Amino acid sequence: MIRSSRTWQAVALSAVAGLALTACGTTDTGGGDASGDDCSFKIGVMGALSGANASIVLPSVDGAELALKQWDNEDCDVTIEKFDTEGDPAKATPVATQIAGDDSFIGVIGGAFSGETRATKAIYGDAGVTMISQSATATDLTQDDPSPVFHRIVPYDDYQGAAIAQYLTDELGASKVFVVDNSEAYGEPLADRVEETLGDAMVQRDKTQVGQTDFAPTISKMESAKPDAVFYGGYIAEAAPLLKQMRDAGIKAPFIGGDGLYGSDFGNAVGDAGEGAIVMCPCAPIEEDSTFAADYQDEFGSAPGAYAAEGFDAMSVFLAALDDGARTREDVESFVDGYTGDGLSKEISFDENGDVPKDKVSYWAYKNEGGTLVPDVEVSPAS
Amino acid sequence: MDFDALINGLDRHTLDGITRGSIYALVALGYTMVYGVMKLINFAHSEVFMVGTWATLGTYTVIGATAGQGLGMIIGATLLALLAAMLASAGTALAVERIAYRPLRKKGAPPLIFLITGIGCSMVLVETFGQVLRVFFGPPFGRVLVNVPAVLPTKTVFTIPGLDLAITNTRLIIIFGAIAMMVALDFFVNKSRLGRGVRAVAQDPDTASLMGVNQDRVIMLVFVLGGAMAGVAALLFTIQYDSTKFDIGFIIGVKAFTAAVLGGIGNLRGALIGGLVLGVVEVYASTIWDSSWADVTAFVVLVLVLMFRPTGLLGESLGKARA
Amino acid sequence: MTIITQHTNRLRDRLDGVPTWARALGMLLVVAFAFYLPYLNILPFAYIRTDLSATGTDWASVLFLVVVYMIVAVGLNVVIGLAGLLDLGYVGFYALGAYSVALFGSTSSPVVEAIQSKFGLSEEWAVPFAICVPIAIAMALIAGVILGAPTLRLRGDYLAIVTMGFGEIIRICARNLDNVTNGAAGITNVPVPPGPEIDGRPFFNVSEPERWYWLALVVLIIIIWLARRLENSRVGRAWLAIREDEDAAAIMGVAAFKYKLWAFAIGASLGGMAGLLFGSKQQYVEPNGFMLNLSFLFVAMVVIGGSGNILGVLIGAFLLTYLPERFREFQEWRPFAFGVALVAVMILRPQGLVPSRRRAREFADRKVEAEEAAADA
Repeated sequence: MIRSSRTWQAVALSAVAGLALTACGTTDTGGGDASGDDCSFKIGVMGALSGANASIVLPSVDGAELALKQWDNEDCDVTIEKFDTEGDPAKATPVATQIAGDDSFIGVIGGAFSGETRATKAIYGDAGVTMISQSATATDLTQDDPSPVFHRIVPYDDYQGAAIAQYLTDELGASKVFVVDNSEAYGEPLADRVEETLGDAMVQRDKTQVGQTDFAPTISKMESAKPDAVFYGGYIAEAAPLLKQMRDAGIKAPFIGGDGLYGSDFGNAVGDAGEGAIVMCPCAPIEEDSTFAADYQDEFGSAPGAYAAEGFDAMSVFLAALDDGARTREDVESFVDGYTGDGLSKEISFDENGDVPKDKVSYWAYKNEGGTLVPDVEVSPAS
Repeated sequence: MDFDALINGLDRHTLDGITRGSIYALVALGYTMVYGVMKLINFAHSEVFMVGTWATLGTYTVIGATAGQGLGMIIGATLLALLAAMLASAGTALAVERIAYRPLRKKGAPPLIFLITGIGCSMVLVETFGQVLRVFFGPPFGRVLVNVPAVLPTKTVFTIPGLDLAITNTRLIIIFGAIAMMVALDFFVNKSRLGRGVRAVAQDPDTASLMGVNQDRVIMLVFVLGGAMAGVAALLFTIQYDSTKFDIGFIIGVKAFTAAVLGGIGNLRGALIGGLVLGVVEVYASTIWDSSWADVTAFVVLVLVLMFRPTGLLGESLGKARA
Repeated sequence: MTIITQHTNRLRDRLDGVPTWARALGMLLVVAFAFYLPYLNILPFAYIRTDLSATGTDWASVLFLVVVYMIVAVGLNVVIGLAGLLDLGYVGFYALGAYSVALFGSTSSPVVEAIQSKFGLSEEWAVPFAICVPIAIAMALIAGVILGAPTLRLRGDYLAIVTMGFGEIIRICARNLDNVTNGAAGITNVPVPPGPEIDGRPFFNVSEPERWYWLALVVLIIIIWLARRLENSRVGRAWLAIREDEDAAAIMGVAAFKYKLWAFAIGASLGGMAGLLFGSKQQYVEPNGFMLNLSFLFVAMVVIGGSGNILGVLIGAFLLTYLPERFREFQEWRPFAFGVALVAVMILRPQGLVPSRRRAREFADRKVEAEEAAADA
């Protein structure tokens, strides 16, 4: 009995000790002091760093880290802090409140996805923290409900829908396009926009849902519609079985998807059935012999993935602000608003809503060849 | 709403529904047998199925089977994968029973507790493939969809003349595989000595143990049989859909459980009917509206059936399922 | 394990001996401490905070979520712990609460826009928050009755699947009905509770989460008080009788169906209340926030803590919400650890961490029965 209660106490004690240890080295509970000429700041990165969607986000975080590493400024001491949201808006709000409440954060890269961005924009806006998103493309973020602190390196989905439709009609010469979406906040509006731009060139529209593996009903609709191209607005996990079942059923029409399919996973997931599939993405191709690609390879041991260049550019804008002498959130915000400069992905500047200016909007169609996405043709929907 | 599309291709949509439903039915067997004997919903059963799909992929990788090989390789690889999937799934089911359920049974815990350990086991298994194995071995483990090579290529075997309905080899294998397994299991439970033990425990556990039936062994047998059926389902699934993912079990599990309840939980033939009906209802709904309404329709049908037949289409009870 | 049971029992016996005034004082101290919690910064107690590491999350925001889930747990405890009905679709009521306040209170909701254009109201107009609250509770309650009336006649396990389907139907409808709920994009500008403006900002704003935490805490305390009254009332005893043996209760004249429906409706409205708080703090609702897994998490909170006991379910809700946030540095390992913990805790303590006294005794009885049966066999 005595021994048992000792054991119990030991367990309790070690639990407390464990709790203490994990917190070691950091007893600062936020609200850091950053005043005067002292240039010691933090830049937050917010996005899905774990979970099913992490592979779309992690390269951009690495890109941002690389930009910081290559930065050359003697006066400033800047660190990058990575916050995992799992892409869930409910988990993103405590993160945003934390960043907003800590004055040493002068900016945040993100949100990586549109949902979490929608949920946290007001928090950052309230605290005057400048956001530069590397990949949140929902149209409403800037068009319906603009926020002065929100900026993005990528154009919004209305343009992407138009670019896809343009590719379908101009490059493929399609006149009977079958449009499928995944009923989610990403795929549905994108497919709506494709439908709108295609007009009479769309033959039928169908909806599927996330987690679906059997697409037989969609396939039989395709068989009777006899399309000459198929567009899918959604993610890889559903696009792959859909495409395989299409090919199994003998539907040979070209398959095209949005940037939700962009990533190194695509080729692995679709296998042989995905040969020749097209993925439209606002992410500019990174030339394999560029210094960025080489540096990235050295640093992280892999070729730069989705949005790596955009992450690099977002960080570069913040660092340029510090170079320029910005030392407060207000300074950074006004610097970013007026910023123009060459980035890796494109010439970076922001219009009054924080969007990519119309004349800079461009997309790339990538073709899946032997499991890798190869840049095929550039599409500029705004011109 | 497009009822014309449904009517015009009714044969085709029914066949699609039966194909989809066959897999639900095989997985549903695991739920229904465990429920029949232990009056408990085995929430980890969806992951028993998931492990089977990975075993299939593992077998293909080990023996180097890819798409487009000779007939001998196709048959050999498929049979080996079937064996591996059945063993892996049955083993997983058994492990779940030993680790998560047996200690609770010995303590006489109420069903709700089994539910939570089942959910816990399910998370552990999902994370094993999504995280633990990825950390140790890297891809293909992880949280992305994985391509399973189409070792068995889809080919049209014959076309039903008047209907213009192409029947493919994979469809035939799935539908007949599922029905054959179901018949074999039904025969085993109803005719063999071990099966009699299962029925005895399902009817009245106390009396059965008085009659000398070893309850622990019967329960283990039920988990092994249910697991093996999920393994068969896993192989058929990979043949039809050529892919797997760490969380692929969740939705199939929910559907299979719905199928089991629809048919009458605890009833083997009910699981078959429930699975097929559910598959057909989903495909019909996806044709009339679109796939985003399929689940709502399926659940509404379930509620309607339960309102008129509170114990499912064929009624419950594994014990009485002799007719 | 018996050691822990003995310890908790002894602690309980000792607490029973404490005079009423001292118990009231103790309770007051606990409540005062709960209100002080966002500011807790004295070592070593400050290690409980979630914002210690460089990538931690805001402590008050986490506390708010903990309290919202505590309200959920207390509500679900009425259904599972008291009435003994297995509800796997509780997230549906939670979603209804959140969506009601968004649909009627947000200026960007299609419902409000339709009302505006029909009655020629200004674009600034929306249903005031004070009216959204009863609407949200009523919606959840009505949904509870509509779901319960046809299904509560079904036996336990059938109820589980039907409620699960209900939770999915709510989410899918929220996702698909673009013209009503704005579809998968969700609704922004969800209204916040009224309050005095400070420095030109509303009292409940996005930058001061501790105010939201205190609001939720007040709601939680009221709900706990109500739930305790209910538990010891005629209704509470009827639930107990139904849970233990429905047939026997019916013979003794307990109208089982009526009381089960009560439990369902009360549980539903508490879930709606929690959802309302969540949606309002978040100022944004979207269908993917209400996935089926959340229902399982809610059930786990109740069962891990000790179903039937309010203190138990509060602890369950706290642990399952707080621990993953506190140990964010383990990132991808958290769900795995969560699963292992669920299995381990339930096997070691099937009655829950802090079971109700009656439950603890039932478990002891059942265990003896099981052992006897094993010995006989």
